Amino acid sequence: MANDTLQLIHGLLYGNGIRFGRLSGNSRFVAALLGSRADRIPFMGPQIHDHAARIAGIPLRKYYWDAELLVNTQIAIDRWYRFDTYTVVADAYNFEVEALGAKFIYSDHAMPTVDVREPLIKNRSDLDKIGPLDPTKGRIPIGVQIAKLVTQKCFGPLAAGFFCSPFSLLCQAMGYPNVIRAIRTDKVFAQELFEWAEDQAILPYLKAQRAAGVKSAFGADAWSCFPNLTPEMFDEWVIPSIKRLKEKAKKQLKMNASAGQAGLDYCEDDPAKFDKEILFRCLDVVSKTLILNSVTVAMGRTQDLDPHWLQEYALTHGKGGKKIPIVASFNGRFIRDSTPQQIIAKAREWVDVMGRDGRFSTFIGNVHADTPPVNIHTAVEAIRTLGTYPIAPDLEKVEVKIPQFKPFDEWLKGQPEEEIILKGREK
Amino acid sequence: MHELYQEISKAVLEGDETKATQLVKDALGAKLPSLDILQKGVVEGINIAGEKWQKNEYFLPDVIMAAEAFKAALRILDPQLKREKVGRLNKKLVIGVVEGDMHELGKSLVIAMTSAAGFDVIDLGVNVSIPKWVEAVKIHQPDIVGIGAYMTTTMLQMKDIIAELQKQGLRQHTKVIVGGVSTTQQFADEMGADAWGHDAIHALQIMMKLTGGKNG
Repeated sequence: MANDTLQLIHGLLYGNGIRFGRLSGNSRFVAALLGSRADRIPFMGPQIHDHAARIAGIPLRKYYWDAELLVNTQIAIDRWYRFDTYTVVADAYNFEVEALGAKFIYSDHAMPTVDVREPLIKNRSDLDKIGPLDPTKGRIPIGVQIAKLVTQKCFGPLAAGFFCSPFSLLCQAMGYPNVIRAIRTDKVFAQELFEWAEDQAILPYLKAQRAAGVKSAFGADAWSCFPNLTPEMFDEWVIPSIKRLKEKAKKQLKMNASAGQAGLDYCEDDPAKFDKEILFRCLDVVSKTLILNSVTVAMGRTQDLDPHWLQEYALTHGKGGKKIPIVASFNGRFIRDSTPQQIIAKAREWVDVMGRDGRFSTFIGNVHADTPPVNIHTAVEAIRTLGTYPIAPDLEKVEVKIPQFKPFDEWLKGQPEEEIILKGREK
Repeated sequence: MHELYQEISKAVLEGDETKATQLVKDALGAKLPSLDILQKGVVEGINIAGEKWQKNEYFLPDVIMAAEAFKAALRILDPQLKREKVGRLNKKLVIGVVEGDMHELGKSLVIAMTSAAGFDVIDLGVNVSIPKWVEAVKIHQPDIVGIGAYMTTTMLQMKDIIAELQKQGLRQHTKVIVGGVSTTQQFADEMGADAWGHDAIHALQIMMKLTGGKNG
């Protein structure tokens, strides 16, 4: 079932008890998110751009300037790891401010990086001088091309363009401390900043994507995670901006713009400071921005977070005894640093606590460039083995084998992305 | 205790940069001892902010604002402290962010906390190449080198920096601590660092320990 609509219907039917046929990864994702459960817990494609380039041997100076190369490399890597869905991510925080004239550094070591020592916005008067964004400038044409390719190659709800959400964009344009200072000390200026970001930076970029046929886009917003912002600040500043932007995109462009992705994600990094009440407040506030209410934890130190807390929140916020979906990521540092056995143990714990009653999906939050591939393959294998329904009563008795896998280059032979990746390696 | 100290501490704690700098000027104008202004006012404020951070009473915006107020107050106070040669630990920290990486938020917090504790901090800034690290260590002969990296790609350079310092015989009297959102203790061990700091306050505690300071 390659067709998106058929996959969507299949997932919906399966998730709601009409179980027939073999689910595709995309249908599995739909069944777990919108239904009661799939055939097994889906493992979604993660944010993997730097790792994908490293495994595929693509120089970063090429990778971030070539839409075809970036998209095809990540899709190939996603398939090599047997993720259920494709996720393609560019350096989403950079495009708008780069095109507006922010100073960047470009190196062989990393994606383009904004130089906030010389911020694009230094004071209020800059707002009148900077913008609107010219879609021919910087890497905007590449961003538009990436959005177009993702729309063509990815599945239904994941087939979307991208942009940098207003709060994160302001952090890129003037530095996080200066945005915080504006919010705390000059609310009029702060309001002007958010509206500038929406109107002068993001909407023109979305307009260019819309002209290329892209109908929806996600706005990355990692700068607004907790504790970078408190739930109260997020509620006061980020949510109104997300809503305004959504309205404007709908009205002006007939486009769905979902800003605030990863916003208020619980990223407390010190387990001694984990606080269930704060976590729940974050989830409460962020739920105001979601189309489908869910418990999502992505970039934080999830390996040390009590999964019973997530399960409790999901159960107490569901209706009719049905929990809201949980989407929990394995922390990227955890996947990098752990042994395969530790990864299997964590998967076993999560499936046991959060997976038994369905409505549970997983992925990896930002895969580190140098993560050993065996660790990622093991995470996927562990979820496949342990997370197949019905879940075994005693998961300790279920053996998970560390998977054997072909090295990427060997696997790549004959794949549709082979030629573009091999060519991409050439300096 | 003079009430100005409490007011300075409060201004720093509340992240009121303008007030903190004015109060430090007032305190200097009133001929209060600069070391007391530093320790009972400015440092006290940032220390309370740190304690509140650890107790989940302060979050990053609060700490950032406090650190900004601290830095502004210190800028006013620093010339006087240097003239009087007081308030320092006699320990040097060279700190920066690796090449290709421009993220300086964590570094600025580490600088605030270590300056408050009395370290002499040499800030190499961001996007620091390996030769610049080596040169800075040769020139300043620091007790500690703090290397920050915030991306999973750029953090890999830490190994080369540490190896180069080792190769040039610059690690005998210098400890290396690494940090940044992508790093971990295991990563620090793999890179050959002496320590890893998971946030600015933890980094300070580790540095005090490494240099035999009061928190060690």
